[in-house]
Amino acid sequence: MTLVALHAHSVRAILGNSEVLHGVDLALSQGRWTSIVGPNGAGKSTLLKVLAGLIPHSGTVTLLGQPLASLPIRMRAQQLAWLGQNESSADDLTVFDVAMLGRLPHQPWLSSPSAADHSAVELALRATQAWDWRARALGQLSGGERQRVLLARALAVQAKVLLMDEPLANLDPPHQADWLGIVQALVEQGVTVVSVLHEVSMALHADSVVVMAEGRVQHHGAAHHPDTHVAVEAVFGGRLAIHSVGDQWVALPRL
Amino acid sequence: MILTTMRLSDGLVALIAILLSVCAPAGSAQALQVTDDRGVTVTLPAPPLRVVSLLPSLTELVCALDQCQRLVGVDRYSNFPASVRALPQVGGGLDPSIEAVVALKPDVVLMATSSRAGERLQALGIKVVALEPKTHADVRRVLEKVGALLGVDDAQRVWRVIDAGVSAAAQSLPPAARNTRVYFEVNNGPYAAGESSFIGETLTRLGVKNIVPAKLGPFPKLNPEFVVRANPDLVMVGDYNYVGMEQRPGWSGMRALREKRVCLFNRDEADMLVRAGPRMADGARLMARCIADKARTP
Amino acid sequence: MMNQRASAIGLVLLLIAAVLALVGAGVGSTGFEGVLHAMDEPVALQILWDIRLPRTLGAWVAGALLGLAGAVAQGLFRNPLADPYLLGSASGASLGVALSLVLFGVSPFATQWLLRLGLTAGAFAGAVAGVLLTLTLARGVQHTLRLLLAGVIVGVVLGAAKELIMLARPDFLQSMQSFMLGSTGYVGWSACNIMLGTWMLCMAVAWALSPVLDGLALGEATAASLGLPLARLRRGLVAVLALATGTAVAQTGLVAFVGLAAPHLVRSVVKTSHGRLILLSSLMGGALLMAADILARWVIAPQELPVGVLTAVLGGGYLLWLMHRRVTARGLL
Repeated sequence: MTLVALHAHSVRAILGNSEVLHGVDLALSQGRWTSIVGPNGAGKSTLLKVLAGLIPHSGTVTLLGQPLASLPIRMRAQQLAWLGQNESSADDLTVFDVAMLGRLPHQPWLSSPSAADHSAVELALRATQAWDWRARALGQLSGGERQRVLLARALAVQAKVLLMDEPLANLDPPHQADWLGIVQALVEQGVTVVSVLHEVSMALHADSVVVMAEGRVQHHGAAHHPDTHVAVEAVFGGRLAIHSVGDQWVALPRL
Repeated sequence: MILTTMRLSDGLVALIAILLSVCAPAGSAQALQVTDDRGVTVTLPAPPLRVVSLLPSLTELVCALDQCQRLVGVDRYSNFPASVRALPQVGGGLDPSIEAVVALKPDVVLMATSSRAGERLQALGIKVVALEPKTHADVRRVLEKVGALLGVDDAQRVWRVIDAGVSAAAQSLPPAARNTRVYFEVNNGPYAAGESSFIGETLTRLGVKNIVPAKLGPFPKLNPEFVVRANPDLVMVGDYNYVGMEQRPGWSGMRALREKRVCLFNRDEADMLVRAGPRMADGARLMARCIADKARTP
Repeated sequence: MMNQRASAIGLVLLLIAAVLALVGAGVGSTGFEGVLHAMDEPVALQILWDIRLPRTLGAWVAGALLGLAGAVAQGLFRNPLADPYLLGSASGASLGVALSLVLFGVSPFATQWLLRLGLTAGAFAGAVAGVLLTLTLARGVQHTLRLLLAGVIVGVVLGAAKELIMLARPDFLQSMQSFMLGSTGYVGWSACNIMLGTWMLCMAVAWALSPVLDGLALGEATAASLGLPLARLRRGLVAVLALATGTAVAQTGLVAFVGLAAPHLVRSVVKTSHGRLILLSSLMGGALLMAADILARWVIAPQELPVGVLTAVLGGGYLLWLMHRRVTARGLL
């Protein structure tokens, strides 16, 4: 019986003036990679933010068995890492310093980084192949390099749950493949990974897929299951077709 | 027969001439011409009966010539004599309400040279005379111009009274007070009144010394150190600017402050001292009284 | 190695400050007079100690406060155009001074207190009140855009109120102008000590809270996900901003440009995290204001130029040159 990492119960969320999530019930297993797919405006990012405890919502979310709302934010930050869509303006910080920010939840206030912090940062930067330019300022990097550094920041938290919103932005195919390797290695170590992806082919590599449309979960099942594929195709209005290529599933636009 | 005709036509010509000279509107013989401080010559057909003044010193000069009754409107800052406060106020001196001025149907508007409103008023056909007295000599000159403008030849006499008043104030000072070194602070900054300012001129005429020499200009913003170094015998300042003067670093040691040789002026008194107008004798008297009172007696 | 560079720059700025302090102690009412020369007469020595030294050091501390506040403001609002006067502190201080000038003489009670506390109390109270008003209008510190907007509104409204007072009492125009353009003329030892104490407190708090500025640079959601108590920390930073700005403005008037330029000048030579940026910005602001003050006192001695004009010329000039160099180097335009 797999444990539940994140459980959302009757979650409703409002963005601006309108309701974006209409009563979502979801249970995400521990030690698995779940990807969330759906058309634009389905509420995927909102759902992820709710699961991360970043926006107000009605209903309950539990993290590793504890209600998220009652968890002190520092404890939550230690157990749950979040990588958002790029809103960073940290151009002046070096790559190393940016990655080190990921250790904030673990550092006592006003203390300098410990050996554990340093090794976590090094591990994270090596995993994303950013270690060699750790002294460069973020502002000097290309879009893809930046994204890898931000990913390293999220990895440096070494949290049990990792939520990522569009983590493949600006990444070229080789680095997308690297990202895949990182996620699979994390899952092997027992980390729960949840990612919102609009690259459906990539999403189909996950253990399970959550299909969303119009603020509701339409389907939640194993990535390789035909029912999941049908749900994915349906939610994109039949403009998507999922094919088997070798041992992978690939989603292509239906022309 | 011819004699009678000639006498008749002579008489007719004479009659016409008499009628013309009596009935002609105040022609060129009675027209007034004044060159104002802008160098503009303003011509008026007759002495103006309705005057608007947009500068407090000009208001006071008009009233000093006993023509207060001709004022129909003043600026917001004209406050002396008390009777002008009841007059309609048309706004600030530099930016009056054009509409309000025009509504008063003035024969002439007196204003400072630095006002932009003059062009607008002239464009609307109103006669504008720009005069701005800044020195003692200016007061005499402007007094005579205003007198000429108003068709009053009292100006010289009025000036003699004022001038005599200043001389009398100077003479009222005991000889010991003559060489008192004075520091006159105009505003927080500190901005001082130098020798070349209007107040400075009055002080010079009273026979006292100003610690701020003429070469620094009329109202220089001084380094506070300069005042401490100069160590004046007497400090003159508006009471509201006196706030915190003793707390200024290094100033508590100044002899004048320690010995409380400070002349404080309230707002009305300060107005009188600063304005280059007919009350300069009263201003001189005020300062002389204080100097005689507070100066060091060796 | 960025840290090494940062430390080096910090030391250079301190050195510059020390040199400027010596120069400043020598600039008196007749221009430059050597300090040794003053040792002869007791009056001159007293002037040096009572007036010139506290002024010079006061200029440094005021500049340090403004540089600190500027760096905090730019980090808090994530906007390089932010300056310490954004949250209504400048307009509040001006209004405070105007009201103090007007209230004098209105009642003996008010007069007595004004004589005791001087205009500095009015300026400080006004600055703090302006910031509180902005916070109330923005309903808290959570939304930076709302804070900025509220700050602009408060600035405009309080500024208009001050203008109305000036219209009614034009005899105070010159005093207000002197305040608006800034001067270290009345900074004595007590003022210096107050500013120094405030600077140490603000520096300590800002240093402690600087990680939140780094986190915020990654984005608000990310900062929240890192477990940073954003509201509390923002409030702390706004308090630092208000205190530092209010104190500096109360003593030296509204000196323009130091808070805006100092962080930019630091960033142009070294890129570093917010903690070090705030410290270096503070040191840079101190040096900048000190240099400007010396020039203000020297150029037309014994008359003085308003120091705010010179900070704009110095800081702005250097930034212009930097921009020009950067543009020609990259071959843009």
